[in-house]
Amino acid sequence: MAPPAQSQRSPSPSQPSGKSELSDLKLQLRKFAGSRAPGVDDSKRELFKKVISYMTIGIDVSSLFGEMVMCSATSDIVLKKMCYLYVGNYAKVNPDLALLTINFLQRDCHDQDPMIRGLALRSLCSLRVANLVEYLVGPLGSGLKDSNSYVRMVAVIGVLKLYHISASTCIDADFPSMLKHLMLNDSDTQVVANCLSALQEIWSAEASRSEEAPREREALISKPVIYYLLNRIKEFSEWAQCLVLELITKYVPSDSSEIFDIMNLLEDRLQHANGAVVLATVKVFLQLTLSMTDVHQQVYERIKAPLLTLVSSGSPEQSYAVLSHLHLLVMRAPYVFSSDYKHFYCQYNEPSYVKRLKLEMLTAVANESNTYEIVTELCEYAANVDIPIARESIRAVGKIALQQYDVNAIVDRLLQFLEMDKDYVTADALVLVKDLLRKYPQWSHDCIAVVGNISSKNVQEPKAKAALIWMLGEYSQDMQDAPYILESLIENWDEEHSAEVRLHLLTAVMKCFFKRPPETQSALGAALAAGVADFHQDVHDRALFYHRILRYNVSVAERVVNPPKQAVSVFADTQSSEIKDRIFEEFNSLSVLYQKPSYMFIDKEHRGPPEFADELGNLSIGEAEDNVVPSQRVEENDKDLLLTTAEKEETRGSSNNGSAYNVPYDSAASVFASQTQIESAISNPTTAGHSQQASFGIDDLLGLGMPAVPDAPPSPPQLKLNAKAALDPSTFQQKWRQLPVALSQELSLSPQAIAALTAPQALLRHMQSHSIHCIASGGQSPNFKFFFFAQKYKESSNYLVECIINTSSAKAQVKIKADDQSTSQAFSTLFESALSKFGIP
Amino acid sequence: MPVAASAIYFLNLRGDVLVNRLYRDDVGGNMVDAFRMHIMQTKELGTCPVRHIGGCSFFYMRISNVYIVIVVSSNANVACAFKFVVEAVALFKSYFGGSFDEDAIRNNFVLIYELLDEIMDFGYPQNLSPEMLKLYITQEGVRSPFSSKPSDKPVPNATLQVTDSYEVLPFGMPDLKLGLNDKIGLEKESQLKSRPAKSGKTIELDDVTFHQCVNLTRFNSEKTVSFVPPDGEFELMKYRITEGVNLPFRVLPTIKELGRTRMEVNVKVKSVFGAKMFALGVVIKIPVPKQTAKTSFQVTSGRAKYQASIDCLVWKIRKFPGQTEPTLSAEVELISTMAEKKSWTRPPIQMEFQVPMFTASGLRVRFLKVWEKSGYNTVEWVRYITKAGSYEIRC
Repeated sequence: MAPPAQSQRSPSPSQPSGKSELSDLKLQLRKFAGSRAPGVDDSKRELFKKVISYMTIGIDVSSLFGEMVMCSATSDIVLKKMCYLYVGNYAKVNPDLALLTINFLQRDCHDQDPMIRGLALRSLCSLRVANLVEYLVGPLGSGLKDSNSYVRMVAVIGVLKLYHISASTCIDADFPSMLKHLMLNDSDTQVVANCLSALQEIWSAEASRSEEAPREREALISKPVIYYLLNRIKEFSEWAQCLVLELITKYVPSDSSEIFDIMNLLEDRLQHANGAVVLATVKVFLQLTLSMTDVHQQVYERIKAPLLTLVSSGSPEQSYAVLSHLHLLVMRAPYVFSSDYKHFYCQYNEPSYVKRLKLEMLTAVANESNTYEIVTELCEYAANVDIPIARESIRAVGKIALQQYDVNAIVDRLLQFLEMDKDYVTADALVLVKDLLRKYPQWSHDCIAVVGNISSKNVQEPKAKAALIWMLGEYSQDMQDAPYILESLIENWDEEHSAEVRLHLLTAVMKCFFKRPPETQSALGAALAAGVADFHQDVHDRALFYHRILRYNVSVAERVVNPPKQAVSVFADTQSSEIKDRIFEEFNSLSVLYQKPSYMFIDKEHRGPPEFADELGNLSIGEAEDNVVPSQRVEENDKDLLLTTAEKEETRGSSNNGSAYNVPYDSAASVFASQTQIESAISNPTTAGHSQQASFGIDDLLGLGMPAVPDAPPSPPQLKLNAKAALDPSTFQQKWRQLPVALSQELSLSPQAIAALTAPQALLRHMQSHSIHCIASGGQSPNFKFFFFAQKYKESSNYLVECIINTSSAKAQVKIKADDQSTSQAFSTLFESALSKFGIP
Repeated sequence: MPVAASAIYFLNLRGDVLVNRLYRDDVGGNMVDAFRMHIMQTKELGTCPVRHIGGCSFFYMRISNVYIVIVVSSNANVACAFKFVVEAVALFKSYFGGSFDEDAIRNNFVLIYELLDEIMDFGYPQNLSPEMLKLYITQEGVRSPFSSKPSDKPVPNATLQVTDSYEVLPFGMPDLKLGLNDKIGLEKESQLKSRPAKSGKTIELDDVTFHQCVNLTRFNSEKTVSFVPPDGEFELMKYRITEGVNLPFRVLPTIKELGRTRMEVNVKVKSVFGAKMFALGVVIKIPVPKQTAKTSFQVTSGRAKYQASIDCLVWKIRKFPGQTEPTLSAEVELISTMAEKKSWTRPPIQMEFQVPMFTASGLRVRFLKVWEKSGYNTVEWVRYITKAGSYEIRC
């Protein structure tokens, strides 16, 4: 038919007169509606195309609904398809009109041509009108039993669509069990695959509602089903293979020979041309061998080659998706990839998101044998046109320096950066030199010589300026001009906008004063005066503190401000190992790309209109930071007497900026907490997010080992529980039915608890240590359900608890029933405190 | 859950929706506005192809002047989603006659709707194989009949990529068997036939992937590639080699900056393949600073000119015999600018070429057997060609 381009384009210029155009169309459609004259179908096709072209460019053509339906009485499949398309688009907004179409769609579901049956069924299920679901059940039922696989394939997905419109209708019609039967018996693999998709979705959604759902979900990963799918895997389409492989990762084989059988069967999948299949297979291999350390290592070696191939083929986007996974593996086992470092070299034209990952991998795989080459390569990138990448490269060099023992050559490179005379290069190199000096004080001589040549006027970025000032204070005895440079900086106190820099300036001038008192005295006076008058609370407080401690006793002040320092041995990692394990478990999903577990970004209840996302996100970040600071300070005071205040401030500054590499080890936990908060703040950018934010913060305060937890239980009736309590399930059930709910509440869980709750078992063991025993548990992320019981010490009074935890919202719904109602409050407090300690080592 | 896409959008560069398909109701209809506002209208566009906005994830790809955006609300399989987009585009191209751009979409939207309905249902990928789809698609592409995507086989080598490409064009539905001079294959053969492996060059492949049609079980047991080819041209296998790759060219650049307004560029390109062979379509792009004002060239072969749009000296040699070394020497005059204090960061020299009858990897087809049941004669033909993938030389 080859419609000329103009025929579709022509309506556009005449858009202003859209109304008349529409009524014109209406008339024409009417004219053809009843006609059976030869050639009518061709004219109808042109008309339909016109209607659909209007629809596509956003003109509302719903007023033609009646006419379109009238014209749909045709045997021409091309027309039918266009008509279905039209109906599908407008039915949802015109539920009354949609009723008109039910008739002809239902009739078409019994057409002789299987293709029409399938298409009609698909359209029928896509109407998405809740009050029409009753019309779906019949056609779906016969569709599932259709002799043609195309119809069955469509019907299976139709069941899933029905489930989303009306779950109860779908369950009541017993469709899930029909799907299960089809999945295990159908000859067409696409039907099987669709059954699998549908069942997985239905049972996950049902998990919190019905008793049988968890059982059915377990059944999907039972041995017979898995073996059945494995044996047919080569018949599946590449997409369905991904689905099946993903299912297999959840299967728990009974012994190691079974594991090897599965891996042998799937090994050739690693040579599949579709990268998604390869990645899915990689996941199976990694998950199956998790408990077998040496085999797991061999798996890394085996999957390396296919992954490296995938990274270098396909579009940058595909490459990025694979690279993110490779990145995860490299971070887990850098030594496996240390000889492949050349694969992580950046090409000039690669997009920055690819380069950034590659830089991180280059940093991770650097070891004694390849460091020289990697650093040489990284230095090439420092001159890159893309400034953020150039900066990342410099930081990468610095990170490698901090990992290595042989830093000789690297220090020279870093110092060369300082001499490159580009502002951003200087800035980053300064920060690195500072970190390097904290770890390797022995290099101070070489570094200081170069740093001394840098004019502070050329350094503008707060972090770099702070680093320079720190070095000026720390090494003021070796740097001739130190007091004078500090003095000139203090003179410009009012022009210094960053509080971080002003804080550093205060500390540096103090340190300098103890080393070279006569030269610094006047500068110190000026600094303290400016500091006390500063509007920033922290700066003000610190200046006042220095002033008072100096007045009290100068030698004490020196001990406080400038004690001998230990070199920092290890710089902390920002992500906890639990979080990393969670991400690893969710291999081959978005979690790996976002580098955070899914509960942090999949949160349907907290999805807001995206228009406001950014502002709210920013707001809650601010709050999150405020919440963290106190807890972190307490932490530092407790544990961290070795570091100077200056360094503590650095810690705080850097952790707030989420920077990874200059965070002292001790505060890793709190840094992690602040990170998660910030991240969750970003991912829950809604008004609801605010309240959640606040509760997060409080949980952290409680959770981070502060002595605040014990003050929660009210002291009077100390309830003691029997550690060896026993209760058989039937008694539990009976009691649960009989007793009224004594208490029902919603508790918030800390991020650590969520991270630890990978499987129900983790919580069971924890609660058991608090004499609260589990009688039944189930569910899978994000929804877990537990039944606990406890017994009063030396009494037979029982407490029964139903606890439903949703990990994505970090909430636990707790219902408590008790034999002795008077003590249920005390028990509830105990339960809450036990739960709040979960996940905290 | 492999994909479970909630919606797919085709947008033009301005952000207008060309075609969209909403598969699920779990994302709002304003998702495309979110994409426009938070990705297209910001500098974020190039920073990452996967973004999380307002509880949904957006995967997007630009193909010619069209953005294809997939929106999901679940923790989806990204690799699968991108592969799906790539495959879908290849499918569209085959219907549109090779081109995929805004015009092609506008001319074919009914067909695209049909295809989108068949290849994905409720967000789950369904059938993308052209043979199956033929049964269900009623519309014809506007541009031209069915043709398939070209085959090429990149072999990345550290920072260079050279493409070896073999074309096999069989006819009908024959059974084919292909033997290569790769190490594992030869070892296996000598093992099976219990005779020592022939001396001669064997190639060690780091990794191989195969088209769906290849019998992988047989490859693993016999190490020969046996397959029943689908219609049209296709990419049979892809391999990767890092050791012992013969690069066909060596580039020796010397670039001198003479003061602030003058540069001297000398580039010598040596062809190191056999004297009887020759390379075709050689293009060498030598970057020069933005403020280039005037250039003058001397070349011993081919033609050169300054292309201001890409800030490069472009040197083209249509036929480049082996064992020769043409040179280019150029003088570049620069506009002196007071503001430009930053020194020029030298981007790498890029090179494009094709060398017929040459394989950089050294991989050879030892045999190609065809079993044709219908009994007509088949003509087997093997063509070797090496194409530059991404060939960059730092200077």
